[in-house]
This record gives sequence, structure tokens and C-alpha cells, in this order.
Amino acid sequence: MGVIVKKVELTWLDRTYVWPVLQGMSITFGHFIRNLFTPTAKRYTVQYPDMKREIPAGYRGLHELKRFEDGAIKCVACFMCQEACPARCISIEAEEFSDLNLSQGFQEKRPAKFSIDMLRCIYCGMCEEACPKDAIWLRKEYEVAAYDRLSMQFGKWNLMNTYAEADGKEQLTQDPTPSVPRRTIAM
Amino acid sequence: MDKLASLLHTTPAIVWMVGKVVVVFLSVFLLASVWTWVERRGSAMIQDRIGPNRALLFGRWPILGLSQLLADGIKFFFKEDLVPEAANKGLFWLAPFLAFVPALMGFAVIPVGKSFICDGVTYHLSVLDPGNGMGLLYPLAIGGLAVYGVLLAAWSSNNKWSILGGMRASATMVSYEIGISMAVVAVFMVSGGYDPAEVIKAQGHLPWTWYVARQPLGFLVFFTCMFAETNRLPFDFAEGESEIVAGFNTEYGSMKFSLLALAEYSHLMTASALVATLYFGGWQVPFMADPPVLLSVASFLVKMLFFAWVFVWVRWTLPRFRYDQLMHLGWKILLPLSMANLVFHAWRMSQGH
Repeated sequence: MGVIVKKVELTWLDRTYVWPVLQGMSITFGHFIRNLFTPTAKRYTVQYPDMKREIPAGYRGLHELKRFEDGAIKCVACFMCQEACPARCISIEAEEFSDLNLSQGFQEKRPAKFSIDMLRCIYCGMCEEACPKDAIWLRKEYEVAAYDRLSMQFGKWNLMNTYAEADGKEQLTQDPTPSVPRRTIAM
Repeated sequence: MDKLASLLHTTPAIVWMVGKVVVVFLSVFLLASVWTWVERRGSAMIQDRIGPNRALLFGRWPILGLSQLLADGIKFFFKEDLVPEAANKGLFWLAPFLAFVPALMGFAVIPVGKSFICDGVTYHLSVLDPGNGMGLLYPLAIGGLAVYGVLLAAWSSNNKWSILGGMRASATMVSYEIGISMAVVAVFMVSGGYDPAEVIKAQGHLPWTWYVARQPLGFLVFFTCMFAETNRLPFDFAEGESEIVAGFNTEYGSMKFSLLALAEYSHLMTASALVATLYFGGWQVPFMADPPVLLSVASFLVKMLFFAWVFVWVRWTLPRFRYDQLMHLGWKILLPLSMANLVFHAWRMSQGH
């Protein structure tokens, strides 16, 4: 059984072809006039470098490694994000540090190096999901570009300072507590 | 003017003639290039976009993106001028000029304003004075030559897409020319002559005696055919990105491409000047039997630019036709309509109107 397609019956006015054309022209002219009297800044187009869209909540932009108030990194170098990363762009080297600090919740492990290859990162947010300490966030910055490949390799201090300026925090260049040499346990 | 003529060791008549040629053709040329901007900005507004507004004059003044014209011109001049290896080089070079020159030449007979008398000498504001024996047959004939530009550009490129586009375009232009001629014959018949001055005089200064009111069907047919004649949407069969790449100008780049584009816009200007002259009273100012010369020029310009704008407006309103629909429209609808128009007006004249 076939499907009966109902065709739209054209009136004689439509079949002259002139009237529908005039109708269409009136629509386009309406658009023209409306845009003519709308300032450029108020039209739909967001003129990118001058104007920027409001970034919605939950947007996954450039990463930030979160810090405690004293500037210590929240990351405990558990490698969960590195495991979760589908693009394999995170690489971490862990280290130990001596002073047990109550404000830091008794951590004694932290990343000595934490680098993300921004050329590989697909901004999927899996690292953020995987992190047990809420130490890595994907935030609203999206203008990640550079002139060469090397500067797209973000290291630990790059990642900790990505939003420092926007949040009004100081730029960090070193951990508040020194690390201790790796202990070798004699078995 | 006499002083200028004696300085240049020529007669005033020659100075006036050369002045007219330079001013008229230069302004048509400039209008055509400005119209590329109008097209881009107008289409942007129609489609709720913004259009070109980033190019700055001397890196400072945006002036609504008008400096985009300069930027484009400079860019086109300095781009590499590629000629395909298998192309017919001579014709490949010749084609843009063959497309461009007839488009401008058609403007020669059109009076841009009222003739005036100064120191006992009559000055006509058209490049070719009235009574030259060619009248409005000339722009129609020259318009027919525009086919050669498109077809030569297509054929000399030695490219299948180009050939397809060129063949389609030439078929369109040739078949729509018949509709144009039929519609125009009715105008000539009613006005009793094919000189633009006579046609304009016969229309009078009252809008309801203009031929658009007296021959609305003829106007409709003529205007529709002009879209096909100038190769513009909805009848732009010389091009067609979805079907034949860029059509006849696929192989063209740099200034040659720019010339082909300018040819289209000059053709558009000539076509709108023709519509204004034939159906909207040319330089006649509504409700003014004897307008001042400058006002008549302004009136003509307003009419011409309005129709040039309608060409842009329609382009961004209507979708393209299919090729068979186009031929159907041209041969089975517009041609009979223009014939009916002709017969109707012949009958009315025979009844003594």
C-alpha cells in the first residue's frame, strides 16, 4: 500500500508566480530594513575579537590545576587523570615532600611535573571527572593558541597559573614546601 | 568650455564628447564596483548578517566596509595571473574584455538627463546624441554580444565545468533575448520610435502614463528576461557552485576574474538603466513637465539605482531555477506573454488609442 502524498493546492494567485515572489521580496525587505536600523553590535553576529559570547556554565575550556590557599597544589599525583585521558595527553611525575601540613590534609605526594599536551587534548573533561581531589578543572578560557608546538606543552606551573590573573591570585613559580629526595626502601 | 577647447587645440564639441564618454563610462564602472559592495552588504542585511566591515581605510576608518572595494581591487591586481596550460591563451585573455566592454557599451545611447541649450548649442546628456539611427536597438544588440564573453571564457578555459556553464548561459541568454525584443517592440510601437529620447518623451511626466502603467505585462516580461540576460539569480546558469563548480569562470583568477565580475555588474547597471528608460520615463521627474537639468539627472539616477537594487534584492530572495524550468519559463511562458502583449497593444493602436 502506497502512501498518498497530499500536494498543496496552489491558488491561481500563487500560480501567477508574481504574487509569491512579491511576498518573498517583502519578507527579505523586512529583514533588510530591520537590520539597517539595528546597530551592528546588536545584531545576531558576535564580532569575535571585539565581542565575545558569554560562556555557558559547564563549558570545558583550558585546564587549571587547583591550589590550596597557601599555594600548595591540590593534586596528589594519583595518576587517575592520566589513566582516564582518552587522548593520552597528560603525563605526570610524582614526588614526595617532607612537611606534613594539616591544611593540606596530610598529603605527602604531589606532582613534580604535570604536563598536558594542549595539541592533543580534546577537552573531553574526563580528567576532571576522574580526579578524586577536585584538583583539575576545565574552565572557560578557550583561546589556546601559540606560534610553535613547544609552547603548547603546558607544564605544572603553566597549568597552575592559567586562571591566576582572571581570579586575582598570584602567579606561582614554586611549591611552598620543598621536596625530599626519593627514599629507597631497603628490602 | 571654449577656453578648455582652445587650450587643448580642439573644438568644444569634441571636448564635450570626450567629457561625456569619460564621465558616463567611468561612473558606470565605479557604480558597478560599488555595487559589489552593495550586493555584499545588502545580502548580509537580508540574511541577518553583517557583511564586510573589517577593511579599514588607511588602517583607521571603517566607512561601512566600503574600503573593502579598494582592498579587493589591490588584491586582485597583485595576485598571480594563472592561465591553464591547455587553455586557448588568446581567447582566454580576450574573453574578460569581451564580457566587460559590451556591458559598458550598452550604456552609450541612454540619456542620463534632459537635453539643454547653452549659448545656442544643444547639449544632449547621452554619449550618442539622439537621432543616431540606432536608438534602443543598439543596447539590445550589444547586450546580445555579452554572450560571446561568457561563451569564450567558458570555451577557452578547456574545462568541462566551464563549457557546461557557458553553454547553459548562452542558451539562456539567446532564448530570453527573444522575450526582451518582443516586449520592447510593443514599447517602440506605442511610442512611435526607437530612439530613447522619443521613448522618454512619449512617456510624459505623469507616472500613470509611463509604460510600466500602460504595459505592465511588457514590463514584467522585460524585467524578468533582464535577469536572465544579465546572468543573475534566479537565472544564473553561467555559474552554479552545487552543479558545475564556478561555471564559466572556474579557471579565471586575479584581475581577469575581477573583470568578469565587474562585467556582470556593469551589465546589471545597463539593464537597470534600460528598464528605467523604457518603462519608468527615463529622466522624467514625476509631476514636473519641465524639470531642471540636474533634477532630471538625479531622477534618472534614482530610478536606475533603484532597479539595480531590485536586482540585488531579488537575487537574495529567490532560489535558483532548474535548467529545464528556466527553458520552460522562457519559451513557454515569457515568450507567449510578450507576444500577447505585443498583439494586444497592436490591437489597441488599431482601435485608435
